[in-house]
Amino acid sequence: MDFERHRCGMDSELVELRLLHLADSALPIGGLAHSFGLESLVAAELLSVRELPEYLRSFLEEAGLLEAVFCRAGHRLANGMKLEEFARDWLALNERLSAMKPARESRAGSGSLGRNFLSALSGLGDFAVVGEALRISKASHELIHYSLAFGVGSGALAFDEDRAVLAFLHSCAASLVSACQRLLPLGQNAATRILWELKPTIVETMRRSGERTVDDASCFMPLLDWGTMEHPSLTTRLFIS
Amino acid sequence: MEIAGSVETAGQEAQPAVLSVPSGRNPLSASLRLDFERVALTGRTVLAASRQDPPLKVVRAFEVDDGAALVHLHNVSGGLLGGDRLELVVNVGGGAQVQITTTGATRVYRPRAEALAVLQSNEIAVAENGLLEYLPDAVIPFAGARFAQRTLIRLATGAGLFWWEILAPGREARGESFQYESVELKTDLMAAGRLVAAERVRLEPKRRSLASPGRLGAYRTWGTFYVCRVGMEPTEWLAIENELRGVLALLRRREDALWGISSLSAHGLIVRCAAKRGRDVLSGLQEVWRAAKWRLYGRASVMPRKAN
Repeated sequence: MDFERHRCGMDSELVELRLLHLADSALPIGGLAHSFGLESLVAAELLSVRELPEYLRSFLEEAGLLEAVFCRAGHRLANGMKLEEFARDWLALNERLSAMKPARESRAGSGSLGRNFLSALSGLGDFAVVGEALRISKASHELIHYSLAFGVGSGALAFDEDRAVLAFLHSCAASLVSACQRLLPLGQNAATRILWELKPTIVETMRRSGERTVDDASCFMPLLDWGTMEHPSLTTRLFIS
Repeated sequence: MEIAGSVETAGQEAQPAVLSVPSGRNPLSASLRLDFERVALTGRTVLAASRQDPPLKVVRAFEVDDGAALVHLHNVSGGLLGGDRLELVVNVGGGAQVQITTTGATRVYRPRAEALAVLQSNEIAVAENGLLEYLPDAVIPFAGARFAQRTLIRLATGAGLFWWEILAPGREARGESFQYESVELKTDLMAAGRLVAAERVRLEPKRRSLASPGRLGAYRTWGTFYVCRVGMEPTEWLAIENELRGVLALLRRREDALWGISSLSAHGLIVRCAAKRGRDVLSGLQEVWRAAKWRLYGRASVMPRKAN
């Protein structure tokens, strides 16, 4: 059977509101507990407020692009897929993204957010594809990565694909800026300005992600890799990753 | 794969980059296939079969003290030119032990404007309980170079792998850093049928600065080292990761480099390095290799000889 999309009776304003809600970086799925390597970079004095805007731009161009490509893949998976094909592709996509994340804590962090996101969504309504994704991943002990979870959830809720990817990228950027406010001497106004000025890069990354496949989505962030790999060695930690 | 020069010495030639390309050579399509087998009677590994298209070549397999076979990869044309299509196929048979190294850094020359990117493809298979140690010198992309590499590694149950790769910023001694057009690296590492590492790197320094604090920052040379033994439990890898952190901590104190380590999703771990000086990467990788080999196989690593 094909999964039925959850579009019946939803007007566009309601769709927009739901997307805003789910992409809010304050959604209680654990996003605020992860710095994804930032904490180590700050501790090693490899990242300061001065370098932060450029760092975040690079993050979006590299890691953001990779996650955006997988977010799209998740979105497409939620639409018109046979049950048995969905199970195979869902597991393969999560396995591939695990393989593309070299750092253990980063993989686990993404897996935790993804599982929490789908669990939260399944408590909001009866979305067949969301329940199936949770069931399959639990049975196979495979991680559910956040970008894929967000994509599948967005597809199930009939969010427009491009808008869902935009919202996802914005949510990721907002979470990182929030983490930086706790790690660096970064005030509210400066943080707001940084996030504001990242928006063109978010839009460009969303557009570039439409030109890539999960097989050729690239990511080159050696310092971020180092930060996430080094995080378990920090003696004092504010974040899980 | 190239005969002469290390990362540092390769840049000390007198002639300008564009003239250093071997003249009169057209793009090549060449393949090197190496099949290794373990001889049951002696327990030693031999190069059982090979197919060599010029300019790719191995002279012969040398015996290593621990029973492994060692080969040196040569590219007798001196380096990689625009449009070259080179293929390396390595099959390590059940229980066989193989070391592969290069005789020097791999130089990727500036191509003619109309030339395609260099494409190097590597297809590697290690059968049950085999071991492959791939320990090459750095890849040096010259100014204007366009280089793409595709690597697929398949490890069977019990198979082991030590595989490193080093990417230099260019001919540093000439002051040539990140002057290449593009470097694309695509690596898939399969262990017992599961994809455990997938690397997708696309570097275009003129379009996106590698000096960004998220990319290389102040560092220039980048290294990746995969350590695998298929079948070991995740808890064992976590323990090894923690043990090797001690080795990396010593390297960090001694050198101006960042060293990171993490367990893969299964069957192995990855070590990453970003360094300001290329020679620190190779020497550091050798130390990590020594420690990891001892931990995984209970025996010392034997450095591959570069000359008789």
